[in-house]
Amino acid sequence: MVSVCFYFQVHQPFRLRKYSVFDIGNNSEYFDEYKNKEVIKKVAKKCYLPTNKLLLKLIRKHKGKFNVSFSLSGVVLEQFEMYAPEVLHSFKELARTGCVEFLNETYYHSLSFLFDKEEFKEQVMLHKQKIKDLFGQEAKVFRNTELIYNNELANFVQGLGYKIILAEGADHILGWRSPNFIYIPKTAENMRLMLKNYKLSDDIAFRFSNKGWIEYPLTVDKYAQWISRANGNGYVVNLFMDYETFGEHQWEDTGIFEFLEHLPKEILKHPDNNFVTVSEAADRYDPVAELDIHHFMSWADIERDLSAWLGNSLQNAAANELYRIGRLVKEAGNPKLLEKWRKLTTSDHFYYMCIKWFSDGDVHKYFNPYDTPYEGFIAFMNVLNDIVIRVRDIKKQKKAVAKQKQEAYTHQADTSSFAHSFISEHPSENLLDIDFTKK
Amino acid sequence: MEKEGGKNLKVLMLGWELPPFFAGGVGVVCYHLSRALCEQGLDITYVMPFGPTMARSDYMKVMVTDHLFPKMRFRLKEVDSLLGAYLTPEDYDEEFRKYLMSLSPKERAKALYGPNVFQEAYLFARKVRLIAMQEDFDIIHAHDHWTFPAAIAAKEATGKPLVVHVHITEFDKTGGASVNQRVYDMEREGMYAADLVIVVSNFIKQRLIDNYGVPEWKIRVVHNAAEPMDKSIFHDASKIKETDKIVLFIGRITLQKGPDYFVEAAKKVLEKDPNVKFIMAGTGDMLPRIIERVAELGIADRFIFPGFVNREEVAKLNKIADVFVMPSVSEPFGIVPLEAMWQETPAIISRQSGVSEVLNHVLKVDFWDISDIASKILALLHYRSLHDQIKHHGSLEVRTLTWEGPAKKCIEVYNELINKGM
Repeated sequence: MVSVCFYFQVHQPFRLRKYSVFDIGNNSEYFDEYKNKEVIKKVAKKCYLPTNKLLLKLIRKHKGKFNVSFSLSGVVLEQFEMYAPEVLHSFKELARTGCVEFLNETYYHSLSFLFDKEEFKEQVMLHKQKIKDLFGQEAKVFRNTELIYNNELANFVQGLGYKIILAEGADHILGWRSPNFIYIPKTAENMRLMLKNYKLSDDIAFRFSNKGWIEYPLTVDKYAQWISRANGNGYVVNLFMDYETFGEHQWEDTGIFEFLEHLPKEILKHPDNNFVTVSEAADRYDPVAELDIHHFMSWADIERDLSAWLGNSLQNAAANELYRIGRLVKEAGNPKLLEKWRKLTTSDHFYYMCIKWFSDGDVHKYFNPYDTPYEGFIAFMNVLNDIVIRVRDIKKQKKAVAKQKQEAYTHQADTSSFAHSFISEHPSENLLDIDFTKK
Repeated sequence: MEKEGGKNLKVLMLGWELPPFFAGGVGVVCYHLSRALCEQGLDITYVMPFGPTMARSDYMKVMVTDHLFPKMRFRLKEVDSLLGAYLTPEDYDEEFRKYLMSLSPKERAKALYGPNVFQEAYLFARKVRLIAMQEDFDIIHAHDHWTFPAAIAAKEATGKPLVVHVHITEFDKTGGASVNQRVYDMEREGMYAADLVIVVSNFIKQRLIDNYGVPEWKIRVVHNAAEPMDKSIFHDASKIKETDKIVLFIGRITLQKGPDYFVEAAKKVLEKDPNVKFIMAGTGDMLPRIIERVAELGIADRFIFPGFVNREEVAKLNKIADVFVMPSVSEPFGIVPLEAMWQETPAIISRQSGVSEVLNHVLKVDFWDISDIASKILALLHYRSLHDQIKHHGSLEVRTLTWEGPAKKCIEVYNELINKGM
């Protein structure tokens, strides 16, 4: 018996525009609406719409025997609402078949678990609500941004009420063990841990059209045989990948859609095989062992660690600044500003600052709006500086209002409670130490 | 370099200059490239009109036509005897000293690029024809359009394949506004006579296609490399740096180098951060205008104009600067930012340059976008981790750009022609 569990990740960030030092204090439009709309429209046409249509067809054809799971970030859902409502509609149509499970993640596809657990929790709850509103599902499964995972996360997420969590089936944590079983996180015994079979996943996601690959071309019967081989060495093959694999990373002319179209039939040829959603897999099979994972791991690059987002001093400085400023933004209590700030927590902004890709091939260049990681850093830091100014302005206004009130009631001009403006606390070396409000 | 028959590949290389004798950028490139080619096992005979030079004997044979034919006599016998006279290093040094003593720097420049330069170029051609008939070589490689008439003459006399190397064109020097027709004709003639044309960047390649009608198949891009510099150099600038950060421009103060964009960007920087000093090293026809403009903008106290700087001073300035800027309007290659990176100074360079095709760890700008230039200067001055990362990766990157790469590419070009049986 082998179950195949497809989970597709759908995400697009709100990319920043080329925000210059001279915009600081003068311009609070941070995001490149034109570019973001263009990307969404392009990927919708090449990937989201045709693949959704195909999946719907397959689900109907196989009458409940074919099902898949999705995780859609909150920010991509927002962009569908704004720029491509037809895509959202097609996802809802998929939801109505009852054969599609929607997972939870951080709404902003962020690294917040690494920096601010309170913020992480809020973003998870925002996402939970969004998925419930749009698709009517109460998610039991959590996947963290880029499959970043460790014991602590499993434990924390268990506390939020989730039953299942996903992670990368990295060699360095599995050793001789197989990713094709259900595991229990060491620190969260009520949770189930499911691991990506990266070899079989990457055969589709990365190698499918690689003519230098010894297995090229990948046919459905060959692939179905590989899947069946898991029989006797596990129960469930977890095929986790970016949804953009279909039509975007692997273009239509590679035959990726034909492959997907014929795969379910081929796999179901073996009477023992079936397709499951993440929850079904965890319900159906008992866990075999406990996994103890202290170090953070992820599904990115060859390192399978955090170095794609937090691997150099630019990324670290930017992330530290971001979360430090986040506290100030929350204190200021302006929902619009908070929302903007949260869009900056999206992991892609840090991915763009990765210097590794100068030597690491061009994976990081995909959808990257910047020529160099340095440009990404500059735009990001300039925006943070603007946010600091906005926070200060809000604080000033509040102070003025409070002062008026106070004067009205007590006729006293006591401002001592505002003497410690939070903006002056520990200005970072990375922030511009000059006054950008000067015209 | 082995070729058929096991003989070393022999190159007749023509140049207008060679360090240390009045070397502009092209001369420096000729020096490093010829040296690297010799390290690859090639034999080079370098022929130039004026000299002599110290670079003569340690790796290649250098011939200076001005001395080979001092009285403009063209009998072949005389060539031989004169050549003999120059083959001992002592004689060479003696001639070199005498020659330098006899000229003031201005005269040297005049001799090289003065009003008679066309005459000199054709005179050089006649002399090179004679040398070509005497020398044994497989291929002709000519730098700088002033040597193109000579290169054509050598090719006609011997039938050997010709490669011309374009480092810059008249369009880049003049910004396209006042192209000298005679120069253009000379450039174009050389490109057409050549069997293959080497250019220092894709930027120049496009120029040749667009402005000279050279077919694309005939052009090979060989990017320049970086010259190793003395990193141990030290200069105490602590007095200035106590209060100010330093932004540096090095280059001729001419239209091509974009000095005016540097000044306008400086003004924008100073509006946000008054504690910055701008150093503009170099001279040129636009210098008076630039100084006037700086005064007009009321930022004269923020500017330093040291005038012409020698190599050691260049190194020192790069060492003390916080940011280096090359806002060139049209830069076929542009070696100056490499010198800054060598001294661990982050560089901002214009995209309208050949060097931007090979560098990753710099900030790139369009020369006309003074806001972007200013914005990036401010970012480098104020975001410390940005400064550190670019400094670190840039200084590593520049060390990988050795002359071995360009030399090997040139050899590929030679072989392409020789194997074609040209």
